[in-house]
Amino acid sequence: MTTPTRVIVFGLAAILAIAAGVVPAFAQRTYVVGSSATYPPFAYENAQKQIVGFDVDVINAVAQKAGIKVRLVNTPFVGIFASLNNGDIDLVVSGVTINERRKQSYDFSAPYFEARQLVAVPASSTAKKVADLAGKKVAVVTGSTGDDVASRAFGKTSSNIRRFDTTPLIIAELVNGGVDAAIGDNGVIAFRVQEHKGLKTFDDPSLPKDYFGMAVKQGNTALRDLVNKGLAAIVADGTYAKIYRTWFKSEPPVLPKP
Amino acid sequence: MDAPQILWFGWFRADIIQEYAPLFWEGLRMTVGVTVVCIVQGTLLGLLLGLARLADARQPATRLALRVLLRWPATIYVSFFRGTPLFVQILLMHFAVVPLFVNPTDGWLLAGDTARELRQNYGAVITGIVALTLNAGAYISEIFRAGIQSIDRGQSEAARSLGLSYAQTMRHVVLPQAFRRMLPPLGNNAIALLKDSSLVSAVGLAELAYAARTVAGAYSRYWEPYLTISLMYWMLTLALAWGVRRLEARYGRGDSR
Repeated sequence: MTTPTRVIVFGLAAILAIAAGVVPAFAQRTYVVGSSATYPPFAYENAQKQIVGFDVDVINAVAQKAGIKVRLVNTPFVGIFASLNNGDIDLVVSGVTINERRKQSYDFSAPYFEARQLVAVPASSTAKKVADLAGKKVAVVTGSTGDDVASRAFGKTSSNIRRFDTTPLIIAELVNGGVDAAIGDNGVIAFRVQEHKGLKTFDDPSLPKDYFGMAVKQGNTALRDLVNKGLAAIVADGTYAKIYRTWFKSEPPVLPKP
Repeated sequence: MDAPQILWFGWFRADIIQEYAPLFWEGLRMTVGVTVVCIVQGTLLGLLLGLARLADARQPATRLALRVLLRWPATIYVSFFRGTPLFVQILLMHFAVVPLFVNPTDGWLLAGDTARELRQNYGAVITGIVALTLNAGAYISEIFRAGIQSIDRGQSEAARSLGLSYAQTMRHVVLPQAFRRMLPPLGNNAIALLKDSSLVSAVGLAELAYAARTVAGAYSRYWEPYLTISLMYWMLTLALAWGVRRLEARYGRGDSR
């Protein structure tokens, strides 16, 4: 062996040795969970700047049962999947609806919440179903399931669809008279409408029932399986039901298996 | 998705942009429209504010009056609009200030169905134009102030001694010379305004950035929409810069010898 070659071999050996030392550290590393904390009652910041909510309680209980450590990071929803792709976060737990389009790009855990779309309208409105809103202005959150529903019903490039960043903003726009209706997820819309007099909601049975899931980067089945294990455990031992009752004041539905 | 995938370099799905093309074209129109309106209005507002900030007189009583009524309010105005983020101003305008005046239930200026109509059809446009104009006016007023102050005192003193009024001096002597010096910074400001208009997408104004956000939200894909609008913005700023250069050449003729 010539001297330079020996140096390279030695260098490679050193790198391997260091890598071998680091790998066990990775196995116990803290998983970073991205959640957009502007989404009560699923995830929001309380007065003490802590992220709290249904999603937070669920992922903490799941992590405990699965034996992993998690750290929550407040990530704006509009860039949350980009953060997942970049590796800034390992898991998205942010009221994400599982759909075919997203399943093409990410892997999902088993469902952890049954979501329906709820429509908020002024109390004087006579609309009973989404179709009654044709020709009216409708506010949705960009890229949400409500956006999907409105895009399907009124055309994805329709100027009657007004897209905003968060559910509070679509409710504010409705309260200020900028739109005739706001479509969003049942948990959040119901929670927000209570805060404003003069609004009511309706539930269009023709709208598909959806489920919220936790998303991991495509191919990260190891983390997904850990999460599913934890989720199954908290459903089995009643922890899930307890969390559900705390936040939604009602009995949890039966969740489908993965 | 069922749509055929037109692949470009293997990663750029042009079909997504194709699908939302009307939103991008409408967005382009809106971006250009809002920018043009705001450049014109912002320049006029900036001129008035710039003059207000320079208002002065020799008699102590008039001087005090001008200070209290013109200078100080203009200074506070400019300080506020330059000292707070434009994004915050836009949200404040759309969700707080405008609803105070135009609101179906209890608007101070407009209420009832007219308010609803106005807000529903033009709400975001109004917010965008008002917020961007007010903000640009603050920055442009500084350009006017600096431009006017850069013209030698002797110019206006000579004009006044020839019997021209303050307005005539400004109109015929000071501003034409100042304008030439102000063109490059005004051009910069116009380009900044064009780019800043993207912030109004946060209140639902369907301009270029809104189109990109919609597509990004629908497909969770970021290269296609944001690269597309980047190129569109770039083309627009190039065109704007070219226009400003033409103006500079046109108004610079007086300086060549």
